[in-house]
Amino acid sequence: MSPSWQVELVAIGSVTPSVLAHLREGLAGILACPVWIATLHVDPKPFFDPRRRQYAAHSILEHLLNPPPNEAVHRIGVTELDLFLPVFTHVFGAAQLGGPVAVASLHRLRPEFDGSLPDVLRMHQRLLKEVLHELGHTLALVHCRVPWCAMGASRLPEHVDLKDSSFCNPCADRIGIQKMDLE
Amino acid sequence: MKQRTPNLLIVDDELHVRESLGHWFSEDGYEVSTASSGKEALAILGRQHFDVVITDIKMPGMDGIELQRHIHETDPDVAVLVITAYASVSTAVQALKEGAYDYMVKPFDPEELSRVVEKACEKIRLAEENVALKQQIVSAAPKFVIGKSREMQRVMELVESVAATDATVLVRGESGTGKELVARLIHTHSPRAFGPLVAVNCGALPEGLLESELFGHEKGSFTGAAGQRKGKLELADGGTLFLDEIGEIPAKVQVELLRALEDHKITRVGGTQEIKIDFRVICATNRNLEEAVREGTFREDLYYRINVFEIDIPPLRERPEDILLIAEHFLTKFSSAMGRRVTGLSPSARVLMLKYQWPGNVREHTNTIERALVVCREEEIEPQHLPILTRSTSQDGGDPDDLSMQAIERSHILRVLKLNEFNVTHTAKALEIDRVTLYNKMRKYKIERPTG
Ligand SMILES: [Zn+2]
Ligand SMILES: [Zn+2]
Repeated sequence: MSPSWQVELVAIGSVTPSVLAHLREGLAGILACPVWIATLHVDPKPFFDPRRRQYAAHSILEHLLNPPPNEAVHRIGVTELDLFLPVFTHVFGAAQLGGPVAVASLHRLRPEFDGSLPDVLRMHQRLLKEVLHELGHTLALVHCRVPWCAMGASRLPEHVDLKDSSFCNPCADRIGIQKMDLE
Repeated sequence: MKQRTPNLLIVDDELHVRESLGHWFSEDGYEVSTASSGKEALAILGRQHFDVVITDIKMPGMDGIELQRHIHETDPDVAVLVITAYASVSTAVQALKEGAYDYMVKPFDPEELSRVVEKACEKIRLAEENVALKQQIVSAAPKFVIGKSREMQRVMELVESVAATDATVLVRGESGTGKELVARLIHTHSPRAFGPLVAVNCGALPEGLLESELFGHEKGSFTGAAGQRKGKLELADGGTLFLDEIGEIPAKVQVELLRALEDHKITRVGGTQEIKIDFRVICATNRNLEEAVREGTFREDLYYRINVFEIDIPPLRERPEDILLIAEHFLTKFSSAMGRRVTGLSPSARVLMLKYQWPGNVREHTNTIERALVVCREEEIEPQHLPILTRSTSQDGGDPDDLSMQAIERSHILRVLKLNEFNVTHTAKALEIDRVTLYNKMRKYKIERPTG
């Protein structure tokens, strides 16, 4: 049984094409549902906060809702820019809980962000998990305490590495997808 | 115990702060409410209890500090987290002095904020659990934890009948069978329940220290005795003294303890004044005290003094019906605490549990279940989640070094017999031999059906 919803990926600013391609492929494999990349990029300038030198995640979410996606479509913004929410120093992503839009940033997930060696595979994996996580929020999932579940709360990139790129059984049940055993 | 979702109230006059924080904590699974002023917050708090209140300091009208004061007047258990846009040390100090849980400056590191709120909720949860735990011990619930076998029901009957008296009790059993729990039950069921329960592990301390631990000491009575100190017996005044590993007490202390038990009076080490104490004694041991008496390492008069009423806790392997019951109990308990959805034990895991000898008893058993839950990603616990049990069950009490075919055949037959509760027809079928052959082999290997 494949889910009744679909995922649209929207680049916010310029995003390396191979990053988007890997992400699309990974999501389609896990979710067994249509996943496509929107042809138009979103210009990030209006979301820039010059004082913080970061981009406002909440404003991006508002923008993605305009016009609202078709029913069943979950629109996920993907960016390489650094995101913030007003009271937070930074966020990896943000989502409308139970709504159709979310945004995820690669900026702090790149291993080189904290001085580690670049690692393309790990970077792709982290972004895939972060997007799955935000997608889960758009499907009304809240944070999960199963340590390897994609809905686990990850405050640090290394925590993201510890998760599987899949939902645990209870979370998968809740959003009506079949559990993909990736091990 | 089912954990309820903690709830938060976010108070800030700025809409975007309320929204961002509300959003963030909803994703974290908290129940979130918001208020745009101190006045509104108090109105909401009047209708509903909140675990954590996150409030801005600078707000028009009532500020955060004043709000916190009002909250704690009616409910001191609420954790108030104060936030502000400016790092002003004096306000922070004032907030903390007035009892704020913590103080944070905007913008927050999301990791830090989540951690602080999690910690606050954890503290509240622990406090609630402590209260619940106390109630649990007084109620009948521990019966369930200990077991439902005939043997353990007998233990509970003994606990209930002796609790009401002031008799000295000797609790016996292998290590890990729950001797301290039984002592605790006796205490909480007794008229001394409102007095202290003071426990001393007599095996853990060398002679000199044990003496001062039990009887206290006066200033300068020995090297290192800096000040005057009350001993455990004095601390048990009005309550119960639990002496664990009583068999390990050195000879000199045995004499002093006997005197204290008979007279209910003690003298502190290095002191002269006699102090009268009202206490009840429960002792525990996993040693054969009778043998120690025969050998002369344990005083006979002390033995009779403490062995007025005896409660024997049978080892876990002698009460198989408790093995699965306890497993289910801790499975439910740990899986909800760990957020797992493990529903039970698979049939082969059950067999494995029943076959195991449980040398470490209930303590080992609960550790095994907890470890299994950590590694189990399936809905049921399987044998591969119980590596400790698979490692050592193959011997079935036989000599582990005897690798002859005969020894292995004997132990295999015995194992299958036990699995089939000594039903010969079923066992023969499982072994794929006829019943006569099985009888002959049982005779040859001297395997007998256990009686009773
Ligand atoms: Zn989950
Ligand atoms: Zn999340």
